[in-house]
Amino acid sequence: MPAETSSGPSHALAGLAQRAGDWLGLIGGFGMLFVEIVRRTLRRDFDRSEFLRNLYRMGIKSLPIVIVTALFTGGIMVIQAAPIVQRYGAYGLLGWGAGFGTLREIAPLLTALMINGRVGANNTAELGTMAVTEQIDALRALAIDPVGFLVAPRFLAIVITLFLSTIFSDALALLGAAYAGLGFLGVEPAVFYRGLTTGLLGFGDVAHGLQKSIVFGIVIGLSSCHYGLSTQGGAPGVGRSVNATVVASAAGIFVLDYLLSFALS
Amino acid sequence: MTAPSERSTGALQPAGSGLLGSLGRLFLQQLETSRAVYGVFVLTLYYSLRGESNRPAFFRQMYEIGNRSLVFLSIVMGFIGMILVYQGGLQTQRVVPDLSLLGATFLQLLVRDLAASICALMLATRVGAGIAAEIGSMVVTEQVDALRMCATDPIDYLIRPRFLACLSMFGALVVVAASVAFLAGMWTAHTFFGINPRVFANVSMVRVGDLAIGLTKCLAYGAAIPVISGYCGLTTFGGSEGVGAATTRAVVNSSLAVIALNFVISGAGYLVFG
Repeated sequence: MPAETSSGPSHALAGLAQRAGDWLGLIGGFGMLFVEIVRRTLRRDFDRSEFLRNLYRMGIKSLPIVIVTALFTGGIMVIQAAPIVQRYGAYGLLGWGAGFGTLREIAPLLTALMINGRVGANNTAELGTMAVTEQIDALRALAIDPVGFLVAPRFLAIVITLFLSTIFSDALALLGAAYAGLGFLGVEPAVFYRGLTTGLLGFGDVAHGLQKSIVFGIVIGLSSCHYGLSTQGGAPGVGRSVNATVVASAAGIFVLDYLLSFALS
Repeated sequence: MTAPSERSTGALQPAGSGLLGSLGRLFLQQLETSRAVYGVFVLTLYYSLRGESNRPAFFRQMYEIGNRSLVFLSIVMGFIGMILVYQGGLQTQRVVPDLSLLGATFLQLLVRDLAASICALMLATRVGAGIAAEIGSMVVTEQVDALRMCATDPIDYLIRPRFLACLSMFGALVVVAASVAFLAGMWTAHTFFGINPRVFANVSMVRVGDLAIGLTKCLAYGAAIPVISGYCGLTTFGGSEGVGAATTRAVVNSSLAVIALNFVISGAGYLVFG
């Protein structure tokens, strides 16, 4: 955009153009990183043991927070549905009401947000520390490809972690919801589960949530790796890029959630 | 899991091995952290009531926490509003064809729970990570030690302005974000289901109890996020790796706190107001 003059409006315009340029650069960076990762993945040119190690650290070690989040989420969904259920006396529909929201939206979304906070932030912090202490340059100097050795295994581990965690938290959220229904409304878990399975909900609803979780995993993986690799400026720089990662992933998750809701229905 | 090894190792193993041991250790760690966070919270409250005011820092934090989160929160809440109305409308159509109460139900849900809780989760990522990264960098570069040398408590100097700013700005942010979500939902309802905006904007289902629950949540989240992230920042150790770890802990712990508080307040609110 032509903004050489230094008067007020054109100055603002230059700022805007700068912003837009930054955004385009960011999206381009994500895209190029994604292409690189996909190429390595298809050629199986990534570090297998690093992949398994990350899968353990990201997947197994996140289980406690996934469990806690899912159980509470199920309970919250039932408490929110409770006044409506009581007004219409539709106790048989409680399973459907809580189940559809949980399976299609809330469980994938909240699991993604928690994994974003734990795994995504951690990943950026690690890669950022490596970038700041010049370990990544050292890898390059040893002719080891940082994308194949560091980035691709982490990216794949994040996507798989989020997918599996979402399955797990779907089940646990329904468990939490069933027992919250028993505690707050006196609805037997059997009635709750019957409401889930009588035909208003199908496998399509579960698949809808799981497809979303794959896309969320890609967003978290790309943004955490990208921000981690482009970290500059010591310890404060690491803090800044972790902050930028979680914000970018969270915004990306919500925007893509909206677009996917249309694309998948 | 490590259950089989527990049997084979027997009583000679030091305490804390095996599944039960690791569970107990996790629990004790959590208990210890909660006690420390509670201590920070009490000290922050004490300084907020007794300490001399530090207006410039307070206003700077209000700008940092409030104004600079506005765009991010508005984008997220706008999309949330569109998603919820679209999905809710589709599902409701399967059971009842009449969608005229969609707006009223959506508004009630927004006031009771979603506006405050989703905003809090987003603020936990944005502001929580920011506070922990900032204070953590100060700890690592020994600026906090310098503060202590000057006989200034970092809780008073660093956490108190953030606490007060977050507490006062969070309510305002929630109101703006809820309006954005509601307007986005109204637009979605009009475009996809042909619901007249006048029909959609129906406040008849929002009762005093819903408002009370929503406001209680605002206060609780607004207090919890800065205290927990500030604590995570202050307990940073190690170099840049430590700052990253502290930021991660801040996001995870404040998000978990938001979800747990949501469960407690929603449950109590349901039992009190019905």
